[in-house]
Amino acid sequence: MITLSKNVELGKKDSYKINKKRYGYLFTAPFIIGFLLFSLYPLIYTFYLSFTDMTMMNKSYKIVGFDNFKNLFGDPFFQKALVNTWKIWILNFIPQIGIAMLLSVWMTNNRLKIKFVGFWRTIYFLPNLLMPVTIAVLFFNLFSFYGPVNQLSVRGGIMEGAMDFFRSTAWTQSIVIFVQWWMWFGSTIIVLMAGMTSISPTYYESAMVDGASTLQMFRKITLPLLKPVLVYILVTSLVGGMQMFDIPYMLTDGRGSPSGSIMTMNVLMYMKFSSNKGHIGVAACVGMIIFIITCVAALLIMKMLREKDPYIKKKKKSKIVKTVGGEM
Amino acid sequence: MKYTTKTRLLRVFIYTVLTILLIICILPIWILIVNATRSTAEIQQGISLIPSSNLVANWDNLTNRGFSIVRGFYNSAIISVSVTVLTVYFSMMFAYAIHVYEFPYRKFLYGFVLILVMVPTQVSIIGFYRYMSYLKLTNTYIPLILPAIAAPGAIFFAKQYLEAVIIKDLIDAARIDGCSELGIFHKVILPIARPGAFTMGIFAFVASWNNFFNPFILISKMSKYTLPMLVQTLRGDTYRTEYGSIYLGLAVSIVPIIIVYAIFSKYIVNGIAMGSVKE
Repeated sequence: MITLSKNVELGKKDSYKINKKRYGYLFTAPFIIGFLLFSLYPLIYTFYLSFTDMTMMNKSYKIVGFDNFKNLFGDPFFQKALVNTWKIWILNFIPQIGIAMLLSVWMTNNRLKIKFVGFWRTIYFLPNLLMPVTIAVLFFNLFSFYGPVNQLSVRGGIMEGAMDFFRSTAWTQSIVIFVQWWMWFGSTIIVLMAGMTSISPTYYESAMVDGASTLQMFRKITLPLLKPVLVYILVTSLVGGMQMFDIPYMLTDGRGSPSGSIMTMNVLMYMKFSSNKGHIGVAACVGMIIFIITCVAALLIMKMLREKDPYIKKKKKSKIVKTVGGEM
Repeated sequence: MKYTTKTRLLRVFIYTVLTILLIICILPIWILIVNATRSTAEIQQGISLIPSSNLVANWDNLTNRGFSIVRGFYNSAIISVSVTVLTVYFSMMFAYAIHVYEFPYRKFLYGFVLILVMVPTQVSIIGFYRYMSYLKLTNTYIPLILPAIAAPGAIFFAKQYLEAVIIKDLIDAARIDGCSELGIFHKVILPIARPGAFTMGIFAFVASWNNFFNPFILISKMSKYTLPMLVQTLRGDTYRTEYGSIYLGLAVSIVPIIIVYAIFSKYIVNGIAMGSVKE
């Protein structure tokens, strides 16, 4: 009896703390196990594979050190894929952020009082939800030789004869850039507007009392306070852009035709993986290079944008991470 | 309301821009849906914005050539529903633990999840493929479903949502009533967090439904193809000149999402905004 009541007492005293600790571990365990098994291990294994000459055909393989990395950087195909990926991402990102910024400023402006803001946003976001594969096949059909775009522009007198868009490297790249822009500018508008409306209106009110112009208010109030949101948009777009696959893969023949103009790094990785011999080692190496490039670029962006501004520099590191880490 | 001439002109200009962008967004999708109902001959004659009457013929043509759309739908639905359930349940659970329990490494763990949100994940697919084929799990749905347990983006969202809705007194009251900790999570927290869970669920579902890359690498059996993989076959030789059928196949893959969006667009748009800005 005595021991029992003692136990009960002890239990009561510490039950909260002990329980909380234990349940904290228990409830976070599924994620940790899932992460270790399905994310971390494959990543480490891919890293290991990138140092081997493994192929699908051969069971045996050996460690070749940095050979894959050296060969890839010397390979004109890889260089092209690297340049293409950056080019397509940057050329889609600039109009994306530019147009989204302009529209967000207009739609949140108190003087302009634009109506149906919710409606516009909802429509602009729609392309983002559609299956990228479907979008790629759709745009292939729209821009094909007998497709609607050619029909319209020939009949409308814009062009003299039908244009074979997918024979021209410049046109094909432009179409990928356009599709990427088309899919993502609505999402950027929503995020930017959320950032802008969370800025306290008192800043603008006192600026207006001081006689500041719209442009001045945008540069001195909106932009600095919006910086964390901009970092978030930039980094998530970068991570997505470096891994771009569906649209460039499906739009033409899956090898980035014409003449490799839309071959991105991820498309190249798939080409190595699915080639006759199945170059696992080389494909893993491409994956790792994408990983390293993306992480380095993301860190650089965060560091640069943070240091430029004294206001954000003062904040703790964790706060920036918090705002940045919101991709769903 | 009084506007100066300048403001009035600017407003006209803005509405024009908004309308042009609206057309750019809608027109390709509208052409796609309209063309799904037209015959190949009609499509070649030119663009129309009015649906025609060839839907049934296109459907027969599409399904007669091995485009097993019902099967693809079924496969995609199984995967996406499982992914949604796992993501919502375990992300909520993780976020709840971080929010409510005090335990060592709690802050570290959450910080780590936030960093994971920014890490490119597709790049480790080669190792994942080798690993799964070693376990003889390629051509099954397990590698497409189980990783959903660890969804950093969903955790971030869940944490923010729970912060806003959880009242700690309620948890204490449930404890006094003798409810177990897991019971509290199931009977108190999940019902409270239902709207947030619903938003998370939509995002998890759409992401899984649209995912092409992972199944494309891990699945090779025709009978196990998901919807995006079937759509991919529409680019091949089988349908080269059957434009009506191609457009119909494309339409079938996106119309369900458009319907879901039409009903729940408020949740989705607010979810995007909430996932990015921390107040």
